[in-house]
Amino acid sequence: MIARAGELLHVDALHKSYGAIRAVDGVSFRVGAGEIVGVIGPNGSGKTTLFNCILGQIGPTSGRVTLAGDDITSMSPLELARRGVGRTFQTLQVFGQLSVRDNLIVAAQEFESTLPRRLFARPDAGLTARADEMIERFRLKPVAQLHAGRLSYGQQKLIDIAMAFMPRPRLVLLDEPCAGVNPSLVETLRELLAELNRVQGGSFVVIEHNMDFIMRLCPHVICMVEGKVLAEGPPQAVQSNRAVLEAYLGN
Amino acid sequence: MAEFLQLVVSGIATGAIYAVAALGFTLMWQAAGVINFAQGEFVMLPAFGMLMCIGVGMPLWLAFLVTCVAAALVLGYAFKRGIADPLIHHGVIPLVIATLGVSIAAKSFVRSGYSAMAQQFPSPFPEGVFHVAGVTVSFADAGTLVIAGAIVLSLQAFLNRTVTGRAMQAVAQNTESARVLGIDVSRMVLYVFVINALLACVAALLITPIYLAKFDMGETIGTKAFFAAIIGGFNQTRGALLGGVLIGVMENVVGYYLSPAYKEGVALVLFLLVILFRPEGILGRREERKV
Repeated sequence: MIARAGELLHVDALHKSYGAIRAVDGVSFRVGAGEIVGVIGPNGSGKTTLFNCILGQIGPTSGRVTLAGDDITSMSPLELARRGVGRTFQTLQVFGQLSVRDNLIVAAQEFESTLPRRLFARPDAGLTARADEMIERFRLKPVAQLHAGRLSYGQQKLIDIAMAFMPRPRLVLLDEPCAGVNPSLVETLRELLAELNRVQGGSFVVIEHNMDFIMRLCPHVICMVEGKVLAEGPPQAVQSNRAVLEAYLGN
Repeated sequence: MAEFLQLVVSGIATGAIYAVAALGFTLMWQAAGVINFAQGEFVMLPAFGMLMCIGVGMPLWLAFLVTCVAAALVLGYAFKRGIADPLIHHGVIPLVIATLGVSIAAKSFVRSGYSAMAQQFPSPFPEGVFHVAGVTVSFADAGTLVIAGAIVLSLQAFLNRTVTGRAMQAVAQNTESARVLGIDVSRMVLYVFVINALLACVAALLITPIYLAKFDMGETIGTKAFFAAIIGGFNQTRGALLGGVLIGVMENVVGYYLSPAYKEGVALVLFLLVILFRPEGILGRREERKV
């Protein structure tokens, strides 16, 4: 059993039903401060719905989500962002008409100042140095001035993830960071996430189908099937769990 | 040649007014997904607002400022809270119909409440002309260009060089992502509505001395703004400028060399050509809708 540091996120008996379909069916788990938790499960097992419920993009039917002890159930993404919760999506979410650097600045600027200062502040909101640090870390320096929409899928994916980490969030939910990414970039991503976790702290919850990535990045893994948590624990234990194998391969 | 240049210059001036109205149109669409078919009436109402202020003895500049404040409140804030917010979740069409309703209501209101007759409107510019390189330019055209140009440049500077402007661009490009990044989307949308109302006031100040203030003056300026936005590219701010100026110049050229009777059809022909051959507009991007 992994020793858990202070608990950051607690998802308690979360349900989300669409009519008779229970997309998320009584999911409970905890994420410690600084912990990386992987979420695996076949397509349609409710992983993304779970993220959307935690992030307040859809209201859960029942259940509770707390962040460091505060009830954040059904809070809007805006309020959650202010509490230091960020996310990435399966699809790219970069602002195509802004430069790479501006994408990173916009990702953190709302945390920096008050309304009058936002209207008259320095246009970079004092974030250029921070943005350049992330650009360096994510190896985006040669393209920092270009419009994000003109870059390759892999580069946009890197920007996407860098944006989520710009405001130094306490908790980031990453939805399939490796989807559509070539193998060498997957390895880069894994290194980057591990490094960010080390230097910047914060807890990550990662949905991913790439088992090798999950096994090597996440000390703790949750397997969801049909809206329920089927197994939970260290990755090797989850991977060799009979019920998990049956869910993935059929019996 | 001199007369051609003259037509171009005064066309650009008229076109710049279309562009100012079209700019608000595209901003509303980009940031809020609102197509405002009452845009013409959003220009007409401030024109009458200014007339009423002048009627109680205010000078034009003060009437303009008072009208700007009123427009920001009524055409910006109240329009957003009262009409756009409740309907926006039901898709584009209900809101389009609602704005058509606003347009009819505004026209009827002004016709029965003020006057059905065209009213004289004072020009903010002095009478007279000056000559540059053989081209005769009226102070009105020059002043219109200066004001419209200054408005457009400061709006661009605001959008590109301030923290709030960048947040508004982010909302326009990807609302969901902006929300997750902590941008107060509702407030950014409110800013767009207020900016649109102010642009309408500027357009009213510039166009009404030419068109006269009449309850149905918005029909012309509204359709021209709409066509300008489509021609230039509905999702591009620069597109609205190009579309507006193009219509203004072509109207003048066609009106002079062919017949003034065709003048009003120019925008429609350009619009049809663009829709047929380049539906995304001259500067527009094809939109990818996320499902």
